[in-house]
Amino acid sequence: MILVLSPLFSGIVNKQKNFFTGRIGAPVLQPYYELFKLFKKETLHAKTASFISRITPLVHFTAILSAAAVLPVGFSAPLISFEGDIILFAYLLSLSRFFQILAAMDIGSSFEGMGASREASFAVFVEPIFFFTLGSIAFITGLTSISSIYDSIVLNNISYLVFIFVCSISFFILAVTECSRMPVDDPNTHLELTMIHEVMILDNSGFDLFLYHYSSSIKLFIFVILETSFFGSLGGGNRVLEIGIFILIVFFLSTALAFVETVTARFKMKNIPQYLLFATAIGVLNLLIFTFTQ
Amino acid sequence: MISLKIQNAEVFSISQIPFLEKKEFFDSLIKELDNGLRMIGFFPPDPALPQRLVAILSDSRTSFIHIIGGILDKREFESLSSRFPQVFNFECELFENYGFLPLNHPHLSPVRKENLNGNQPYAFYQIQSNEIHEVAVGPIHAGVIEPGHFRFQCHGEQVHHLEIRLGYQHRGIESLILKASPSKKILLSESIAGDTVIGHAYAHCQAVESLSETQISLRAQTIRSIAEELERTAMHISSLGGMSNDIGLAIASSSYGRLRTLVINSLAELCGSRYGRGLFVYGGVRFDFSKEILKTILSNLKTVFQDIAEIHKFLFSSVGSCVRFEKTGVVSKEKAEAMGLTGQAARSSGIGLDTRIQHPYGAYRYFPVLLNSLSSGDVFARAFLRTLEIEESMKFIFEQVDSLPEGRIKSEISSLPPDCAVVSMTEGFRGEIVHSAWTDKKGALMQYKIKDPSFNNWLGLSLAMEKTAISDFPLCNKSFDLSYAGHDL
Repeated sequence: MILVLSPLFSGIVNKQKNFFTGRIGAPVLQPYYELFKLFKKETLHAKTASFISRITPLVHFTAILSAAAVLPVGFSAPLISFEGDIILFAYLLSLSRFFQILAAMDIGSSFEGMGASREASFAVFVEPIFFFTLGSIAFITGLTSISSIYDSIVLNNISYLVFIFVCSISFFILAVTECSRMPVDDPNTHLELTMIHEVMILDNSGFDLFLYHYSSSIKLFIFVILETSFFGSLGGGNRVLEIGIFILIVFFLSTALAFVETVTARFKMKNIPQYLLFATAIGVLNLLIFTFTQ
Repeated sequence: MISLKIQNAEVFSISQIPFLEKKEFFDSLIKELDNGLRMIGFFPPDPALPQRLVAILSDSRTSFIHIIGGILDKREFESLSSRFPQVFNFECELFENYGFLPLNHPHLSPVRKENLNGNQPYAFYQIQSNEIHEVAVGPIHAGVIEPGHFRFQCHGEQVHHLEIRLGYQHRGIESLILKASPSKKILLSESIAGDTVIGHAYAHCQAVESLSETQISLRAQTIRSIAEELERTAMHISSLGGMSNDIGLAIASSSYGRLRTLVINSLAELCGSRYGRGLFVYGGVRFDFSKEILKTILSNLKTVFQDIAEIHKFLFSSVGSCVRFEKTGVVSKEKAEAMGLTGQAARSSGIGLDTRIQHPYGAYRYFPVLLNSLSSGDVFARAFLRTLEIEESMKFIFEQVDSLPEGRIKSEISSLPPDCAVVSMTEGFRGEIVHSAWTDKKGALMQYKIKDPSFNNWLGLSLAMEKTAISDFPLCNKSFDLSYAGHDL
């Protein structure tokens, strides 16, 4: 389901963004066409690239796909689930990033080195956000598997509802950063000097680029699912209602993403760490307040 | 101080210029530059006699243009660039085009050619350090923009030096204009820079008309000025759109795009081309305003006038954009003066320089515009100044359209006089455009020099990038919005 639906989400966000700026925009299915086009194309490698650049797209894709496997999609059970898979999930994402940074350095272009250094330094700030949101829920419930954490969320008292809601806010910031969307990174920019994520794949083409694009849309969708799943228990065990809520929240998120991308300006590069630390701070405060009010 | 003082677009005989000995020439040049005059031309008036040089300087306080002539027995002289950085590019150009060697020049580099002489590859300015890394961008860019090569010396994200290499668009316009037939000359001047069609065509026509002492009717002059202000409005809007796009503010960038279309469509109503090509002829303009055209243009502009205020408000009250704009890419007034920045970039750094005011021409002699300037010299100043200038331009258009003088739109032009010259200046949307035409004994053009504002201002961009984050480069670049073609000629 993730494999099929993830490009659709990017398509919806783009369409809504165009709607906000008064344009018609590309069809919702455009990401599929683009992926198909890249799939057919020949892959070229830079002369200076070693085997790392060749295996990275596959490693990247596989890591993200395996990370997706531990997620409960549409509140149904995930493919794999075991105690501690929350750590696995976090580090599968890190693994994909690590290889991407390696590959970017490997090619030896000055832009890609720049992008790699940016990605690496922001990654330092991104990880705490993850652990202070999902991790703090795990801490409270004492569970360490993503699906059981989500299953344990029951929004029955006010303080817990507020806690989860605040978690979802800092998670949104995390998602925006991880998926290199505005206001941290601009996926539509063509200016190589300002890019973070996009600049690392400048020298990839054809099938490799297909893997990168595909995995980044999957990554975006993973975060959307993580976000949505906070509110799974609102359905109260009713499958139809749960799926209804799922679709509603996904749509709400895409609107939020498109809206944010339309009306905010990108941050200055040096202000991004502050923004990320802000999200971490929210997570920490949130956890503290919740523990003390219980 | 021995120099010839003339006004903008005033014809003079070449024999009036006092040609001084080398030492005297440079002494008076240094004296004039010390007095705060700006260099706007430095070249031999007769390419067949290259040892005779003229330096053209503009004095914004007295509205005079000073011309100093000098005779050099050898093609070399002591460089002035270290003392007066504004001379830097002029000296490089003199070396490249006429083989004059400026001795002790701080960094003699080609202006439009690939390398200085021979097949030696050009040596870029480099900072020697293990921690400095070099980033090269262009000449082929990711977007659909003109070619230019940028070489950054960076320490981490911070830029310490930016070197800009241009010349990829060099077409040899100056020599093409000398050879072309009169009707083609205007076409050539219109294509100097695709976004300053009116500014350059105006400067060219004004030069030729002044040389032949042709009187232009007030109606034609007003139509020219309205077209020029339309161009200014449209291009400023498009720069603002580009800046919003660079900070990722999609809503502002698409709204500016929509309004710019309305303005350039108004220009198309008048002359059939959205950029104003074909409007200018020697002696006046080719197209006249009819009632219907005026009505469409006015209704277009009223929409723009109302809507643009809203978008300005959104853009400049958004915290995100102010954070990006303010204190980014600062050029101080002292630096801007020393580098001889001109036009919009100079006015953003607190220098009140506007050809329409200091060297008034055409309709601006009778209907002056207000001078706008800001002092902070950052991206914000360059952006906000555009909004002020858009407003001023639109007010000018509304006033002129209301009281359009009657009269013919075109007068006959006579032939060019022998041994005469003229310096014709106009204010394009980027700043001062200088065309200077020189005729020989038979009354044919023997030298035609063009200076686009970009010629001065590209160095301003280099200055702005010092100690600025490399990720802010696209924004700084767009805030200057300079022309590659106008520089390369």
